[in-house]
Amino acid sequence: MINSTIVEKIRETPSTITFRFYWEEKVLPGQFIMIWVPGYGEIPMSLSFTGKKKGITVKAYGVPSRKLQELEPGDRIFFMGPYGKPFTESHGKRLLIGSGSGMASLLPLVNQDSTVIVSARNREELLYIGKMQAERVVTITDDGSSGFKGLPHEYLASMDLSVFQRLYVCGPEVMMFKLLPLLMKAGVKAEFSLERSMKCGIGICDSCSIDGFQLCTEGPVVSIEKLSGLNEFGKWKLDHSGKRIEV
Amino acid sequence: MLQVTVAGLKLENPLMLASGILDQNGYTMKRILESGAAAVVTKSIGSEPRDGYLPPVIYPIEGGLLNAVGLSNPGIDNIGGEIKIALSAGKPVIGSIFGSTPDEFLKLAISMEEYGVSAVELNLSCPHVQGYGTEVGSDPVLVRNIVKNLKGSLRIPVFSKLSPNVNSVLEIARAASDSDALVLINTVKGMAIDIVAKRPVLSNIYGGLSGSAIKSVGLRYVYEVKREMDIDIIGVGGIENYQDALEYIMAGSKALQIGTALGKFGKSIFYRISTELAEYLSKNNIRSVMDLVGAAQI
Repeated sequence: MINSTIVEKIRETPSTITFRFYWEEKVLPGQFIMIWVPGYGEIPMSLSFTGKKKGITVKAYGVPSRKLQELEPGDRIFFMGPYGKPFTESHGKRLLIGSGSGMASLLPLVNQDSTVIVSARNREELLYIGKMQAERVVTITDDGSSGFKGLPHEYLASMDLSVFQRLYVCGPEVMMFKLLPLLMKAGVKAEFSLERSMKCGIGICDSCSIDGFQLCTEGPVVSIEKLSGLNEFGKWKLDHSGKRIEV
Repeated sequence: MLQVTVAGLKLENPLMLASGILDQNGYTMKRILESGAAAVVTKSIGSEPRDGYLPPVIYPIEGGLLNAVGLSNPGIDNIGGEIKIALSAGKPVIGSIFGSTPDEFLKLAISMEEYGVSAVELNLSCPHVQGYGTEVGSDPVLVRNIVKNLKGSLRIPVFSKLSPNVNSVLEIARAASDSDALVLINTVKGMAIDIVAKRPVLSNIYGGLSGSAIKSVGLRYVYEVKREMDIDIIGVGGIENYQDALEYIMAGSKALQIGTALGKFGKSIFYRISTELAEYLSKNNIRSVMDLVGAAQI
């Protein structure tokens, strides 16, 4: 296991906390690590900061992530990685669409040419608002407590997407599934970061597979062309036992 | 040239996917068959769904992987759909099953036969779950009864996958001699400790070691069992290239299984090794890979 000391702990929203730590390894936006919480489990986490001072943004979800949130500066974190294929870099205007904790893997892509659509259940859960050096930040909430009330695909229906060189999307699979037809129709270049349960990170356990592709090694970033040809995307996944369930 | 017949089963080449690696989703198994594997063995399936152990369940170490996945599986009633998807590749699928009694194995095997598998592989060797695997597979009387019970009731061949973590592999191999083939070997029990965290890495503490680190152990058992018994053997443990494959074949294996190496080399390993094997055979004027089975026995 690799280990590092937490140097900073930042409360982002009521349910999310960012931890910063130093790790020399070169990591590209979209790649992830497997964090070991000794005694409580192991979870995949995207890097929300990819410079020398790395960062992860942890949402309280299950037992390991709750335990991880209890760590303080000076405590050690243990992990393996980096894993996975990163986002493709692009020049010119880019549109980032992040829903919930999906914003974490998009944060390293934010620059002054970026329009960022941040979506969450409510105003309190919107991530990184006021912290991003972007051209424009748009907020979308399920309950309308900030910005547009609704879901990203509903907002995007009225946007001119042709001005963007590339779109980057990360969030719940159902959200991305609803977005896909609209982006295909618009004919844009887009990449999606998918999330499924993972046990190994090295392409052997079959937990994160989608249509025979392992997201941990052949993803998690998937192009719009590839995504549109997948049968299981937005429909089927396997649970922890390997039983086929609806997404 | 690469065609083999093992336990009466015709395979286009000697390479199958080993149980436990990339074999719970039907689409993944299908893709592996399309990548050049002659057959796939499913993840070991039990009577009921099991989530397995808390991660970390897989930990890479020098020379291989330690795993204690904990027999996670969807249960026999939920695997038929995945097998159907895998079978659409038009190649054999082998159903791996685990149970604790002869009757439980039989029930699972009959369901597997109904799902259309070409053979069943009995997991008598998982090293890290109480009541199953090695705990069953280290009792020669139980092993004999399980295999006998199945052989009387199934039309498809029965493979028995044995553990190196027993007093005498040969004794268990003899107990399983009614099988159509023996699969040698499952993982070697081991563990890893993180010295900074000062605790075992695997949540189950102990796991099974696979990969190149165990190749010489696997070879030894294939060789030893082949020398003592007239039975088809499927060799598994640390195969990464055609030289490893040849060693296992010359020790006495008619077919081979590959698992851990997929993490290092990806799915193309099946195509690569079979191409290299064919080149080797041509270069050395050997008509069939079957001619080399047991060639190193002295």
